[in-house]
Amino acid sequence: MTLFFAGLALILAGGAGAVILRSRPRLGDALFVLLVMSGAVVSAVPALRVLAGGRVENVQLAAAVPGGPWVFGLDALSAFFALVFLGVGAASAVYGAAYLRDERPHRPVAFGHLLVAILLVSLALVVTAQAAVAFLSAWELMALSAYLLVVFESERAEVRRAGLIYLVATHTGTLALFVLFALWGVHAPDLTFASLAAAAPALPRAGAVVLLLGLAGFGVKAGFVPLHFWLPGAHAASPSHVSALMSGLVIKTGIYGLLRLVALTGAPPAWWGWTVLTLGLLSGVLGVLWALAQHDLKRLLAYHSVENIGIILLGLGVGALGSAYHVPAVAVLGYAGAALHVMNHALFKSLLFLGAGAVGKATGTRQIDRLGGLARAMPVTWVLFLVASAAIVGLPPLNGFVSEWVVFQALLRGGVTTSPLRLAIFGAAGLGLIGALALACFAKVCGVIFLGRARTPLARAPREAPAGLLAPMVVLAVACGFIGLLPVVVVGPALRAGAAVAGVPDAGTLGGVGDVMASVRWIAWSAAALVVTLGAGWMLRAAVLRRRPVRSGPTWGCGYALTSARMQYTASSFAAPLLEAYGPLAGVEAERGPATFATHAHDPVLDGVLERAWGGLQALAARLRPLERGRLSNGLFYVLTTVIVLLAYLVVAARPL
Amino acid sequence: MTPSSVATLGLVLLAAPALPGIAGRTKSFLTGRRGAPVLQLYRDLAKLARKGAVLSETTTAVFRAAPLVGLLTSLLAALLLPFDGRSPVAGFSGDLLLFAGLLALGRFVLVLAALDTGSSFEGMGASREAGFAAFTEPALFLCLLALVLATGELSLGGILGTPLAVAWSAGGPPLVMVGIALFIILLAEGSRVPVDDPATHLELTMIHEVMVLDHSGPDLGLILYGGALKLAVFAALVVGVMVPRTGVSAPVSAAILLAGLVVVAVVVGLVESVMARLRLDRVPQLLVAASALAAFAAILLLR
Repeated sequence: MTLFFAGLALILAGGAGAVILRSRPRLGDALFVLLVMSGAVVSAVPALRVLAGGRVENVQLAAAVPGGPWVFGLDALSAFFALVFLGVGAASAVYGAAYLRDERPHRPVAFGHLLVAILLVSLALVVTAQAAVAFLSAWELMALSAYLLVVFESERAEVRRAGLIYLVATHTGTLALFVLFALWGVHAPDLTFASLAAAAPALPRAGAVVLLLGLAGFGVKAGFVPLHFWLPGAHAASPSHVSALMSGLVIKTGIYGLLRLVALTGAPPAWWGWTVLTLGLLSGVLGVLWALAQHDLKRLLAYHSVENIGIILLGLGVGALGSAYHVPAVAVLGYAGAALHVMNHALFKSLLFLGAGAVGKATGTRQIDRLGGLARAMPVTWVLFLVASAAIVGLPPLNGFVSEWVVFQALLRGGVTTSPLRLAIFGAAGLGLIGALALACFAKVCGVIFLGRARTPLARAPREAPAGLLAPMVVLAVACGFIGLLPVVVVGPALRAGAAVAGVPDAGTLGGVGDVMASVRWIAWSAAALVVTLGAGWMLRAAVLRRRPVRSGPTWGCGYALTSARMQYTASSFAAPLLEAYGPLAGVEAERGPATFATHAHDPVLDGVLERAWGGLQALAARLRPLERGRLSNGLFYVLTTVIVLLAYLVVAARPL
Repeated sequence: MTPSSVATLGLVLLAAPALPGIAGRTKSFLTGRRGAPVLQLYRDLAKLARKGAVLSETTTAVFRAAPLVGLLTSLLAALLLPFDGRSPVAGFSGDLLLFAGLLALGRFVLVLAALDTGSSFEGMGASREAGFAAFTEPALFLCLLALVLATGELSLGGILGTPLAVAWSAGGPPLVMVGIALFIILLAEGSRVPVDDPATHLELTMIHEVMVLDHSGPDLGLILYGGALKLAVFAALVVGVMVPRTGVSAPVSAAILLAGLVVVAVVVGLVESVMARLRLDRVPQLLVAASALAAFAAILLLR
């Protein structure tokens, strides 16, 4: 654990160094990049040791606050999340150093770096804290540093609004967590996780209240439907590397919280599992549907986070059901699939956001329909973006396929049991629907932004992103491909983390789990076969066409000679038939004029429900206003009435103080 | 992997281009025309293989790689099916998702290739292909789930063998429903009437055909062969579900499969002869009906 903290200290030192050396930006940036990377590597060592089956001693700090000592420790679950957070976090931070370089004249860039360092450290603390007060402190540190990063470009009104909504949402969630631990702590001697776990059997109604509070509190952070309302705005408003951190990592702490909650309470009741599974389906389908409707690249990617949280919840839900119905193999596979998808989503989603940042920097716009044909100007960015897109859609031979496959295994293996658990198999059909919608959405994004011809003239000709932006993206893309080709490397640790959540000591001996480990080899083989045959076929095609006449000409216009780039299908027209089929669910408003047509995407939860509810609340509050006009006599009257009511209550209740 | 599984796969690969021909011939026979020969696609493929190519100036490497990816993914998906009724060339528990994933990869790249040309017509085809796939995919998954529930097996090779024969003897109706749903999926994935019309001449009404307008020469050949192979794969899936072959020797099993493929192709032709293609906004209803049918079957199979 000392080594782990030493690494975190290095990361913090990197942030501090950037601030101290802000008058010499080149040196400061270099120091920041170097220290963050080395800190991540140092901290990764003990985490890797745990995932390899070793043990790391807990650290216990006798804090002078209520709730018992502050304990930090690394079990398989913590280690898995910590590795993801450190690896992807470091890549995003390095990208940030290059991304913010030209913002120096008008923004406190060095403080942005410090905040990123603080955010990374607080993320690592959240997943290693083994006591409630330490956990909540780290949680709050994370929420606040993330807020400050979201409003980094605070001169824009929409950024301030998104930041405010995020702040309100995250604190509402934290409130639920406070209540959760307070209610739980009543039954335990102190608030360390060990004591809480020991007290779990004493919870009334099998911990129903605690589990529901956890679902609400962690759910706001994770951002599943209908608690996702803060997410698209906050992710779209922040600088791209912060979006990557938010979407790739911060929302995953909600998933970590749920997994940790399950690990502490033991097998959750079946209704909780069904709730999570249903929320996962809802989130997955609606998330991708709303993503299809977006015109802003970063908002679109943010809605895909909602979708992927849905897939993660499918795994978590079926895992919880496996625990509830005493099918340990399904439990382990479900939790492991959730954990693995957390890792994979962190990799490809941050890559997508970083790619979106590179596109935004090169073109000055995030509006998909204004772009086109960027593949020629930005070939490297294009290939990286394509890899991430194929990964997020869940296509072989990339990492997204691997984790969806593990979740799929859990759902199918639940289906062939004889308990009510077998109904969970229908979740797999949801996985199919989500995958197909995501395919449509990313075909649209890739095709419209990078392929075809430029739709509108841009302020300046787009150029390939600089190496400082590309290098961290290459690392993330290589990780996506590596996991796709050699899934054995990550499936093992994920199963270990899943077993830690399910409380199964030796998961490898469970029939289903062993079977999955054996089948993972086949995934690797099929991925290799795909890559090799594709390479061979490509060379064969080139060899054949070398001896044939190959001409190039304009695209066939079906007999029409005067085609223009504006005639190309746009993102809106591409998605329109599909969205129309889903009707009002899709959240699209069409605006038809005599010669114009425009569609606007709105969020059915935020704009449809919350804004209206908030408006109603404000109207009610306005009607209460006459009660309080600042008159002293009124105030005295209220105080007196309150005292009398309280006294009357005491008399009636006959309980003297 | 057994010699007989490889040999049957080889047979299917050889026979695949005949299926669209058989469907077309059935249609022309029923409408009183002579029609193109059954083996026309073989001739087309041979001719295209000898040709050069015209590439659009707008396109990138995606456009060039797409036909190859489309064919290879269908080919790899075919490896997972036990054509000889016993064992597939390759298979493992949970390969159902790989089957769907490979076909999705092929579709993804073909859709991108269509958008790569910058043509509004091909963009239209891409939009429709991706949109309708969002309705076929859940139907396919539901069919596979129903089969998993019927047999308790988690791999295509395991499902389409003896366990399915046992499931048939336990109760046929749900499996018939799965077979019908799979046939509807075949019509959609194989771009046949009533979802798409391979014989149409107007770009505005096309789906698959308009996506590949700009491909030419060997690339077009790869696309045509990939399409035929995909049709054969789904036809073999339908045959595998409807006619479980167990307790017969490998050559007999292969013969039954080939006969089944011909029957499926004839039925496709029959469907094309008796009905027009659906209006585009009605297609999702048909595909949702397939989903509902498969979901119903799955519920019946829950027991």
